[in-house]
Amino acid sequence: MSSNESLNKLQQRLNLSRRSFLKGTATGAGALAAGGLTEMKYGKEAQAFAYEPYPKDNELDTVVTSCAHNCGSRHMLVAHKWKDVIVRLSTDDGSYQKNGHFGKDTMEEPQLRACLRGRSYRQRIYSAERLLYPMLRVGERGEGKFKRVSWDEALNFVVKKMNHIKSTYGPTAILDQSYAGASYGVLHKSDQIEGLLGRFLGMFGCRTNSWSVPSYEATTASSKWTYGTIQDGSEDDTFAESKLMIMWGWNPAYTFHGGNTVMYMRMAKQRGCKFVLIDPQYTDSAAVYDAWWIPIKPNTDAAMMAGMAHYIFSNNLQDQAFIDKFVQGMDAGTMPGWGKNSANGQENFKDYILGTYDGQPKTPEWASKICGVPAKDIIKLADMYATTKPAALKASWGPGRNAYGEQYSRMAAALQSMTGNIGIIGGCAEGVGKGWHAEAVAYPYDQYANIWFQAIKSDRWAHCVLNYPNVKREEVGLWPRQDATDGQIPNIKAIFWQGSDWLNQLTNINKDLAAIKMLELVVCMDSTITPSGIWADVLLPVSTHFERHDTALPWYKGHYYIHRPKVIEPMGESKTDIQIFTELAYRIGGDVFGKAYNPKASRGYFNNNDAVDEAYLREWWETKVMAHQHIEMTWNEFKQHGVYKVKMDKPLVGFRDQIEKGIPFETASGKIEILSSELANIADWKKTKYGYHIPSIPKWIEPWESLNSPKTKDFPFHLISPHPRWRTHSIFNNCSWLRETYEQEVTVNASDAKRLGLKNGDTVEVWNDRGKVVVPVYVTERCMPGVLVLHEGVWMDLDENGVDRSGNPDFLTLDEPSPAGSFAYNTVLCNIQKTKLAHRPGWDQLSTSRAHVFRRDY
Amino acid sequence: MSTKKDVKKIREAVKRHKRETYIPVQPDMQMGFVHHNVDCIGCRACEIACKDKNGLAPGPRFRRVQYIEGGTYPDVFAYKVNMSCNHCAEPACLPTCPTGAIFKRKKDGIVDIDSTLCIGCRRCEAACPYGAPQYDPSEIIVKKCNMCVDEIDAGRKPYCVMACMMRVLDIGPIEKIWDSSLQTVALGASDKVSRQVKNMANIELTKPSIGFVAHSKGKLK
Repeated sequence: MSSNESLNKLQQRLNLSRRSFLKGTATGAGALAAGGLTEMKYGKEAQAFAYEPYPKDNELDTVVTSCAHNCGSRHMLVAHKWKDVIVRLSTDDGSYQKNGHFGKDTMEEPQLRACLRGRSYRQRIYSAERLLYPMLRVGERGEGKFKRVSWDEALNFVVKKMNHIKSTYGPTAILDQSYAGASYGVLHKSDQIEGLLGRFLGMFGCRTNSWSVPSYEATTASSKWTYGTIQDGSEDDTFAESKLMIMWGWNPAYTFHGGNTVMYMRMAKQRGCKFVLIDPQYTDSAAVYDAWWIPIKPNTDAAMMAGMAHYIFSNNLQDQAFIDKFVQGMDAGTMPGWGKNSANGQENFKDYILGTYDGQPKTPEWASKICGVPAKDIIKLADMYATTKPAALKASWGPGRNAYGEQYSRMAAALQSMTGNIGIIGGCAEGVGKGWHAEAVAYPYDQYANIWFQAIKSDRWAHCVLNYPNVKREEVGLWPRQDATDGQIPNIKAIFWQGSDWLNQLTNINKDLAAIKMLELVVCMDSTITPSGIWADVLLPVSTHFERHDTALPWYKGHYYIHRPKVIEPMGESKTDIQIFTELAYRIGGDVFGKAYNPKASRGYFNNNDAVDEAYLREWWETKVMAHQHIEMTWNEFKQHGVYKVKMDKPLVGFRDQIEKGIPFETASGKIEILSSELANIADWKKTKYGYHIPSIPKWIEPWESLNSPKTKDFPFHLISPHPRWRTHSIFNNCSWLRETYEQEVTVNASDAKRLGLKNGDTVEVWNDRGKVVVPVYVTERCMPGVLVLHEGVWMDLDENGVDRSGNPDFLTLDEPSPAGSFAYNTVLCNIQKTKLAHRPGWDQLSTSRAHVFRRDY
Repeated sequence: MSTKKDVKKIREAVKRHKRETYIPVQPDMQMGFVHHNVDCIGCRACEIACKDKNGLAPGPRFRRVQYIEGGTYPDVFAYKVNMSCNHCAEPACLPTCPTGAIFKRKKDGIVDIDSTLCIGCRRCEAACPYGAPQYDPSEIIVKKCNMCVDEIDAGRKPYCVMACMMRVLDIGPIEKIWDSSLQTVALGASDKVSRQVKNMANIELTKPSIGFVAHSKGKLK
């Protein structure tokens, strides 16, 4: 027998591959035993990704897109897909932009890395809650029983109802409750004021608009009065230049409100910037920036600011040259000549602070009694702020979501301007904080963009419905009209939701639930079933932004555009919102309405929208972006890269030109108006959208509920409901990846908990005269005594007695807006106790939240 | 019989026992993670990116951002300790595996589990002092972080590192991390790296390949 033959026989007997057998013989018998036998046993050595299939990124198609939910930011998402399935998402790694490469991450062109919410998008697209087909209600409203119908049936139902309601109840019968939940794209835009729904209902001729914005109406009003614009922001890279950063109620580590804000603030810290946090909670932002934490009673911020102003004035630390040159009404010397003859323009800010008018100087000691901050801390902070330059007082939106929240925002503007920290790099005039202006509209925008027949404060709709017609105009904040219909109370009989979960998100939900039962039509357009959708008559499935063509832009901070191609085909029978509105327009008003609503489309748009959408986007890019912003990249090149990052020749600082070049502010006086010309000249408040008197200068006004009010006898805790990190409002509440990292829970101070006998993880009920919610408790030293924190946006889940088992704080909030329109989300007294009632985390019973396992170690 | 234990003798026995049972792979170069405990905002984007990359259902979490807080109101502190698998020099999981599914890469010291060999006995889960192996009940096997070897082999970095909004998580040769010489924005100019912080098991157990910029309250006395 030849040696070859014997080898072959042995090989057959041991079933070894030729390669491994030769390897074995070449290295001797010992190696055969060690290496060869392993291979005999398992066939191969242990290896990574042994399971099949494991598609690696380089084997998949790569598509640049972005997130699209209502958080103010917009970050890049990169879809790695196999055929029509998104296998995974990554984010900006520096390689996609022009002249980019892997790892490129510079100060002027930073990577646009998505946050945890953006990274969980696959769970939103492919969720069990996804709306795939049109549905019609079959049970009682709110019962949650629907049947699948054809688009034909659903749309004809809506058309018939709309026509009937308009002809029966007139042009105010349909309430527009569109919001920014579905998208903030340039083409497919759900928006409260001038979005696609507003245009559709306006052209239809039946629309009551909701004018006050839940997020930031206080600061919007303040910035418009003070600066004449909401564009009072600096881009976030300028924060890196601050020497002192006062975060007033601001928790960027939770909101990610702005492209790379948290990262730039880290740079400031590394350069020696000092941080201060004024907040009832020691937030993660305070921890990261090693901030001096000043706990404050909720809803008393304006008083503390007044105390700071008193210290600054009485020690002559104000920047008088800045005041004299740029400010109206800060002191007697800057009062306008017309002031003394006006309705409300006699008082100046300094004399108010010093107590000239009411005999009460707003000293730090006076403020301390109201806000609970020791006078010495108010003095120390005022001194730091007045003597450090540049210093950023970042007056966040949260403390403005309060009774008289606009006074807080106005008071902040007074401090910012009296210290001359406006228009300089590292300073801050925010406020609203909107920085770079993007070209935001690619959909048809014309005289029909915002037609309305009445407009009300958004959280007064239920009050209006329940009390019609016995409603006074000031109670609902009617926006004045220049015709005979001025002051007519809208007769609301229907609601349209586009990208909006307002039934879950507005104040005093129990009152909203009573009102919604009285309506004749409730339409919900969304890509998932939402708590609001449960209460609708018709559910229209909207494709997500992964399933339609668009371009994303940051709303708040950051300067870039991200292309959003159609990554996958629309799921189920979902359609884009423009397709739905266009089709409804054709069905209601034939070619005339259809063509007017969507001029580039033809009758077949409902089934084929690609070419038309591309045409709108190309036109927007070429006639707006390229023409107005002098961006040279062509549309095709932009589509190739997927992202365009604007390079600024110098950092964008709010009001830089006004301060450096003397360009007038956009106010009536051309100055920073601490005395508002608009407010000073109002004689009849009822005829304004505000409805009630608002002082012309910033003042401390006692809120209707606070830890200082007698109501604390029954309801000793003040509840605040900030934005969670693991949801954007109510969006993503159904994503189990996010749900397992955090729990919906009410935060309570450790000494309060001890007194009440509460332990971490106990189930408690939190209640007041408006409602009751059941939720687990989180006991911590990081929260001020007397304050409860319950994050907004969790999906309500009512038991048979109307108790919310999910822990939605808006069962406890009051539907009483501040005069300027700000929602009083944070003006809530309540009580708390251990309970036997059941908490239900929501509709994701499969998601076992284990958040507290990975938390805290004492 | 004496009840007094000879600690020195026991220590020697433990050392001898380890040597006898398992000689760890000596990697050509050991890769490891570095995390800034103070500057991390705790957003857990790294966790979600990891879940998405590895296609995990709720339950197993390869990467875990631990929240630590302490103090008494109003004098409080908080920081984060972020860990996945530490790809230890002497992995405790590896010798416990009855099927040889767990292995350590020679090239860069990455420790991984071959899912086709794992029988889901969960011994490694019990052995690891840092909680890295995660049981996946849907597939009845144990899974864990493999530092995204596919990404590393493609010349990129793991998903968690590339997800970090604050840029405080990075990877690199562990010796460079430990002597704070790694060129990375995760480390500030004056930041010094610690191998051990309070909120983790003793590193002598397995010699984990990780470094932290510790919070002042997280440093060992």
